[in-house]
Amino acid sequence: MLAELLPEVSDAELEQFIQVMLTQYGYDFRGYAPASLKRRLGSVIKKYGLPGLSMLNQRLLTQPDYLRYFINEITVSTTELFRDPTAWIALKVQALPPLFALPELRIWHVGASTGEEVLSMAILLKEIGLYERAQIFATDIDEISIEKARLARYPSRLKGLYQNNFRTVFPAGNFERYAKEEGGQLVFDSGLLQNVRFIKHNIVTEATFGSFEVILCRNLLIYFVPTLQDVVVGKLVDSLVPGGILMIGTKESLFWCSAAKRLMPVNDVERIYRKRR
Amino acid sequence: MRGHTGDVFLWLIGGSAGSFNPIRRALHQITYMPDVAIVLCLHRLRSPRLGMAEALGKLHGWEVLEPDDKTPIRGGQIYVAPADYHLLVEAEGYLSLSVEEPVHFSRPSIDVLLESVVQARWRRAAAALFSGANKDGAQGMYWMHKAGYFTAVQDPADAEIDTMPAAALALFEPDVKFRAEDFPKVLMQALTL
Repeated sequence: MLAELLPEVSDAELEQFIQVMLTQYGYDFRGYAPASLKRRLGSVIKKYGLPGLSMLNQRLLTQPDYLRYFINEITVSTTELFRDPTAWIALKVQALPPLFALPELRIWHVGASTGEEVLSMAILLKEIGLYERAQIFATDIDEISIEKARLARYPSRLKGLYQNNFRTVFPAGNFERYAKEEGGQLVFDSGLLQNVRFIKHNIVTEATFGSFEVILCRNLLIYFVPTLQDVVVGKLVDSLVPGGILMIGTKESLFWCSAAKRLMPVNDVERIYRKRR
Repeated sequence: MRGHTGDVFLWLIGGSAGSFNPIRRALHQITYMPDVAIVLCLHRLRSPRLGMAEALGKLHGWEVLEPDDKTPIRGGQIYVAPADYHLLVEAEGYLSLSVEEPVHFSRPSIDVLLESVVQARWRRAAAALFSGANKDGAQGMYWMHKAGYFTAVQDPADAEIDTMPAAALALFEPDVKFRAEDFPKVLMQALTL
């Protein structure tokens, strides 16, 4: 069967959508990369069988309760435990050791989605014996994803992938120590979330809230245009202590970001940086 | 700086199983063209981060790269879609990446790439679809065709696995149905239109 092209989103409708979100709800989509934003709006329109984006705009205006579901649909929640295992190895071996001696370790996951990255960090800290002195903040604009993250339960079918990634990072580690299968689900040990706070926060529109030794912001910047990438990375670097670590997605680049000169690479391939002192 | 929708001709090439070797051979036969950018969207294994650009080998004058997010589109470059990311063309003249859901079990998806070119209304572009074992790309080729871009589909009889080109031909009649050995000529033909 021939599927139709996702409904075309005109620039005027997109403009209206951006206005509605900004003025009614305070979400600022002006700096989102158009190709994927249009694509995601198109798939929401298609899912609800709406004739076009103006109807979706109408719905957003008249049904405030719909907003949280819409935010969940429009955001990309793809993530996994120890996604890009070699990047986690670099974090463990190259980036974190200089921070071992610090009395506390404040870590911020920006765009934490459904929580797998937070659990990866918690497991890493347990393995190297630093968990007790860590405070982990995990933020996202999507409260439905945050609720899932708090549960730390995932479909059992993901176990093979997650276990493999774990073993790549910790060849001698014991995955069962952290996650068990229970009723068709992979359930993570609640102790991993003991020092974690999940907070609804929008990095685009809201002020930052502290200083951190480590910030992870992976595969979020790809949804922003270069000018917004520049602003967001500026905020992240401002939030790092001197010597603090920034880790972005392995195909993300700081090419467009003026704050890049305040960083030096720890591992260029894995896109891990340290803030200059 | 180049990188506007106006002045770079975008040649988009999609394929899956059975497409890599014919595409590599064809690319080794084309001359360097500073106003043409080639974008390869080939299905591949998920894990290897490096490899395909190297596997293409050294091509006369062309620079082969796996683009990072927001890489400006420039002529004389061959962009290879990175594993496990969708690759999209932005009207502003750069390439974006996305990790949204796979399409036809594929990320990168050829449909997603081609659709983005149509949405961006890139001024001059053409697309070709090679051998493959699933239907990704068929709809994208159809959308390109409907939007008035030049399209070329490998002759299923010439393809190692005919599912992908046959799926496209079931939807529309492309400008050219080609044999892999003739692809360098097809590539040049599109530029003169």
